[in-house]
Amino acid sequence: MSSFLLRHVKLTQPQLALMLQHQCRVEASTSSSASIVQHTPVVLDNTKPPPPLDADRMRMHPRIGNREIVGYGLKGKPEYFDLVMFPCPSIRWEADIPAIAELRKKEKGDWKQLSVEDKKKLYRASFRQTFEEFTAPSGVWKWTMGWTLISLAGLIMAYDAWRRVAYNIERPDSFSDEKLKKQLQYHIAARQGPMTGLSSKWDYETGTWKK
Amino acid sequence: MAYLFRSVLIQSLNKTIRPMWTTINRNMSSHSKETDEEFDERWKAYFDRPSIDGWDIRQGINHMNRLDLIPEPEIITACLKACRRVNDHSLAVRYLEAIRYKSNAVSKEVWPWILQEIRPTLSELGVSSPEDLGYDKPELALKSVDDM
Repeated sequence: MSSFLLRHVKLTQPQLALMLQHQCRVEASTSSSASIVQHTPVVLDNTKPPPPLDADRMRMHPRIGNREIVGYGLKGKPEYFDLVMFPCPSIRWEADIPAIAELRKKEKGDWKQLSVEDKKKLYRASFRQTFEEFTAPSGVWKWTMGWTLISLAGLIMAYDAWRRVAYNIERPDSFSDEKLKKQLQYHIAARQGPMTGLSSKWDYETGTWKK
Repeated sequence: MAYLFRSVLIQSLNKTIRPMWTTINRNMSSHSKETDEEFDERWKAYFDRPSIDGWDIRQGINHMNRLDLIPEPEIITACLKACRRVNDHSLAVRYLEAIRYKSNAVSKEVWPWILQEIRPTLSELGVSSPEDLGYDKPELALKSVDDM
């Protein structure tokens, strides 16, 4: 889809479902399972036993995978969000892979022993973006402004085209050569522009233009 | 006392002198008759519970973030100590980031003052401020959720 005209194309759920169905059928028919690859290993972690099943997880499983549910969040649903109004989402961002589990053990001890890299890793394990990142300006106004001006210009040009097509636009007959000549004679007779303008170039004695 | 945005500016200008009018009993809304001190005590007691868990801390942080105020340094320290008790350092950083964002919306002078007031707690617990982690500037350029 053209991403120049549209900033993003949101597929509807039925369209997405159809696309995925088609994709699955194509991949199944080629019967090469190497083409089906998991590209998001961190969120869905199959190496550990699944976390204990409780009401929240039953409702959302398997959408959130193995991520720990840590809070109430917005409406009690175990979903992740980055919002300015609600700093603490209800689930961690990443699953508890062994690397993170080690860091959490270290976290139980003295925080002064954690290096800046450890702290950053822990933060990214719990949260997707920092406040600065999801409040950063997106620059959408340039896109908006540009398309507003372009569409305005387009509409004006379309109107002009319709005007030329729909209406018979003629010049009045005073633009014809004889009439213009007559008009010039009248101007000179009325002494228009006597000092530096039109009549100053006309020689009234001889009745011709000045040399 | 809980600060309204105006009083934070005055506070930052004269650090030791608290203006008289902030000690007078003021009604912030028509239906709540709580003083500033009671408000502070309530929140401090909430975070000072020794058996508090991560769920309640997050509830408290989210609720307090919705209110039209920036928390007192005492409340902030109580919350940071609560985070220490549940062994969650990223939560503490997130909380500080939320306060930083909110205070920057008021004035550029508020956040340095707050940091200065809670610096003893930060160094005692070993919590990094967002500036220490480099999170006062964006680090990753991820796509916004609204554009997916």
